[in-house]
Order: sequence, then structure tokens, then C-alpha cells
Amino acid sequence: MSKFLPFVSYQEQKNYSLLPFKFERLDDKEVILTNMVGQYALISRDKLENLVSHNLDQSDTDYITLRSKHFIAEENDKNSYELLSLKVRTKYSNLRNFTNLHMFVVTLRCDHSCQYCQVSRQSENKAAFDMTVETANKSLDLVFQSPNPSIKIEFQGGEPLLNFDLIKHIVQSAELRNVIEKRNLQFVITTTLTLLTDEILQFCKDHQIYLSSSLDGPEDLHNKNRPRPDKNSHQLFVKGLSKARDVLGIDGVSALMTTSPLSLNRVKDIIDEYVKLGFNGIFLRHLSPYGFALKTKSYQAYGVNRWLDFYKEGLEYIIELNKNGIYFTEFFSAILLSKILTSEDSGFVDLMNPAGIGIAAITFNYDGDVYASDESRMLKEMGDTSFKLGNVHSSSYSEIFTSDALLNALEDSFTLSAPMCCDCAFEQYCGADPVFHHATFGDYLGKKPESEFCNRMMGSIKHLITLMEKDSETKAIFMRWVNKC
Amino acid sequence: MLLELDHKAYCLEAVQKASYRLINKLTVQISTNEKSISCDIQMNDGSKIDDNLINAFKRELLDQQLRVQIKKETEDQRNLILAFAFSKTGLQE
Repeated sequence: MSKFLPFVSYQEQKNYSLLPFKFERLDDKEVILTNMVGQYALISRDKLENLVSHNLDQSDTDYITLRSKHFIAEENDKNSYELLSLKVRTKYSNLRNFTNLHMFVVTLRCDHSCQYCQVSRQSENKAAFDMTVETANKSLDLVFQSPNPSIKIEFQGGEPLLNFDLIKHIVQSAELRNVIEKRNLQFVITTTLTLLTDEILQFCKDHQIYLSSSLDGPEDLHNKNRPRPDKNSHQLFVKGLSKARDVLGIDGVSALMTTSPLSLNRVKDIIDEYVKLGFNGIFLRHLSPYGFALKTKSYQAYGVNRWLDFYKEGLEYIIELNKNGIYFTEFFSAILLSKILTSEDSGFVDLMNPAGIGIAAITFNYDGDVYASDESRMLKEMGDTSFKLGNVHSSSYSEIFTSDALLNALEDSFTLSAPMCCDCAFEQYCGADPVFHHATFGDYLGKKPESEFCNRMMGSIKHLITLMEKDSETKAIFMRWVNKC
Repeated sequence: MLLELDHKAYCLEAVQKASYRLINKLTVQISTNEKSISCDIQMNDGSKIDDNLINAFKRELLDQQLRVQIKKETEDQRNLILAFAFSKTGLQE
């Protein structure tokens, strides 16, 4: 028998109140709890019953965790309410800034003919698919009406470099306007790098323009996914990458991959190619149901479960690389992890609520039509103009941003009032994505139990939390991915 | 198959939400009387009822009932925290 009573005997037993939280089953035994700002805790299903019945003892090992993470508050505990309020305010503070990303589709022409192209590119010689100077100027008038102190202009295509003269005009005009506006102005060109010249690179260097490119993996896979007449897309990419890095520096060029049906059994080869070419991370990106990806049945070739297997295999390999001293990030995971582990939000348009369409990003199409996002103009090429908000030649800023097309989509897809989403523990980490759901269900909301988006997000988030909880070294790696110095 | 639920153990909202969560597999027709809530459950593809899915539906009912309880109990706290969070923003009317 002990000489002294245990410490808990001297503690004053206090009643506790529940603070708002949601939960999801992780497996048969455990549940994931998330609070109003996305902090999470893992407890057993039985303990959850005790917690909700107010029978959780102060001596319980999870009691302090649940209190410190604002799942419960003790009597007269005003600090919990104030801290949680502060965190809520921080979490939503970016909303006030409004639109940051402005995409200019300077041409639909392209020198590639990718099977999975989501844009519905046109052949190179159709100048009718180029944006004009007049349309670009009208678009810039709208860009600078955004209240956001940071403005990012991203040039999209087709292959934007096929209309490089217009890019030069837009950059120079935006910089001229910015002498008075004094915004934090950034430029990005999304390009295959195949058409880079010394003149283009010098201009990019002079105006601090970043390049965002595409690399699908090793040479054979990349060339099959991204055909050119000379079957040399990979060779031109590597040459362009080296040239661009020489002028812009290693951080001046990034790359995105797309998971085609041919990629599914090659995830390690794909990651190895990124490591070999000196990239510090990869975005294991699934195909989306737009453009040629649907027409050529690339999108239909694999379902969400097959993509999740691909993603999990890739992530496991990347974690091993990190454990062996190679610092390498999986960027899709990093976006989710920053929501799970920090108060930061990368502002990734697909993973926002309210949806990021219009209020975080907007697209000016080559013909002057304004779309709520990049994917929205992809839908238009398939005949669905639901997300057309106006035209730069005939619509005012207020007509575009208060259009029914935008407001109805934002309101109807709002996850805090959407069936299933409103009760989902992962709602804080997820997003509304009305464009995806309109493409697949014909309405802004879709049916979440049948939604590939929902299944993909549930699968990815549960996997990331399980990995962290099972292995502290993995958690440390994930923490490094989201807390960059 | 017909599942009879005691309305003192489950509220209609929880039954509706549990049915929605399994909408990709089960079709549930809900009706109520003074004492119980009845669920007429069919497989979406018209096949014989899968007991595993019925068990999943029952587990989901428990979860949804608990969610309703948490939501109800924390409604005042949620409103207080949101009001406090946005109190200085000028966004509230």
C-alpha cells in the first residue's frame, strides 16, 4: 500500500463543458476529433461516449490534451473561449483580402498534344485563340480593383510562350500601374519549357517571373503522356530546365506531374526522376474530369481508390527518402498537413470553404470572358458555361463579383451547411469545389458519399493522420514540410 | 428489410443523416409514428440485403445521434466564440 494518496486525490474535481467539435471514425476502435479550427485529437470510441456524457475523469490521460486543444472547458475557464475565438479569427483572416490569383489565358494554342489535356488546346496556328492587347488591358483594369495587397498574375495556355509578346505587354503594364498601386506583385508562366529562348529568360529574370512546368516522370513515360511531333518532349524539358535554372536560379522553376493511367505502376520511377533532376518535392496530382481527359477517357481509366493506392505508395517512398537524409516534400500532403498541424492555409483554391472560385482566384480567358477559376474555363470548352461571370469588355468589377453565377455557387456549395460536410471532422481540412461537383454531378454540391472528391480527401487525410500517429519520425518529417524556415 | 427504431433512442435528424451517409449503397425510406421511426432499407442495386451494410448503418446511427447531442449542447458556445472572434472586424450587423 502506498504511504501517500495519489496526486489526483488533492485535485479539485471540476465540471467541464463541451466546446464545439466533430468526429469521424478512424477505424473500429478509434475516432478523430477536430475542433472549430482544425486541431485534432485521437481517442477511443468508448472514451468519446464518456466525454460526451461528462464522465471523463480529470485523471484520464486524454483529459489535459482535450482541454489544451479546446475540446472541453472547465467551469469559469474564460481563457479557452478567448483563445479559441482568436484562432477562429486568425483562420478566417485571409478571407478579407479577397482575390489574389489572376490567371490570364494568353492563348489556347499549344505545341503538345497530350491525351489527358484538361484545357482542350488548339493547334499552334490558330491565332483566333490568342488574347488581344485590348482584352489584356481590360483584364488588368479588373485585376487592380482587387483589394488584396498581394497580386499574383499567372499566364496560362495552351502554351503561353506562343504569345510571349502579349506576356511582355501585360508584365510591363502591370508594373507601370504598380508604381502607384504598390502591391506585392508576382508573375508566373505555366510552360512546358520547350520554347524557351535566351531573350525570354532574360525578360523573366529582369521581371522576377517564375516558371511553372510539367514533368510526368522518366523519359519514356513523359514522352508517352506528352506527345510532340518529334517525340522529344522530355529531352526539351531537361534542356529548358537547365537553361532556365542557369538564369533564374534553382528555385525559379517548379514542376507539376499529372497521374495518367500509365503512371499508376511507376510512382517510384516518377519520384526518382524528380530527385535526379534536383527538385525538392513533387505534387502527386490526380487527373480532373475536364477537357481531353474526359474525351480520351483518361479520366475514367482509374478511380479514386486506385489513385489513393498510387499516392500512398509514393508517400511511403518519399518518407523513406527523408529518413535517409534526402529532403523531399510531397506537396499535396503538405497542403493538407499545414491545415492539420498549423493555423496556416496555403490558399489552394480547390481546398477552401467558402470555395476559392472568384474570391481567391479568377481567370481571364483569351476571348475576354471571365471565369471563376482555371477549371471553370476548362468546363466552358466542354460546353458548360455555368461559371462564366462576365466579359472584360462589357462587365464591371461589381457585376462580375456579384453575379449570380458566382454567388449561387459559393452559397450552394458552402460546406458548413452542406449535407454530410457540416458534420464531417475533416471539413476544416477540405473544401467545397463546386466546379468539380458541377462537372461530375451537374450541381454545385453533388452527393458526397458518391463524390470522388470526398472519397479522395477522406482517404488522404485519414492516411496522413494514421502515419503521424504510428511513427514519431514521420510526424517530425511532416512538421518540417509545413514549418519551413 | 424493415428496421424499427425507438424514437427515445434516436431522433429523426440522426436517422436522416445516417441514411444520407450510406446513400451510395443503400436506399432508406423513413417513416415515423408516435413510438418509433421505421427504416425500409433496400440495396441500391436491388440485390439481397448485405448484413455488413446493415451493421454499418447501425453504427452510423450511433455516431449521428452522438453528433446531434454534441451539436445541441455546444450551440451556445459556438455562437459565443464566433461572435467574439468577429467582434472587432466590423463584419457583423
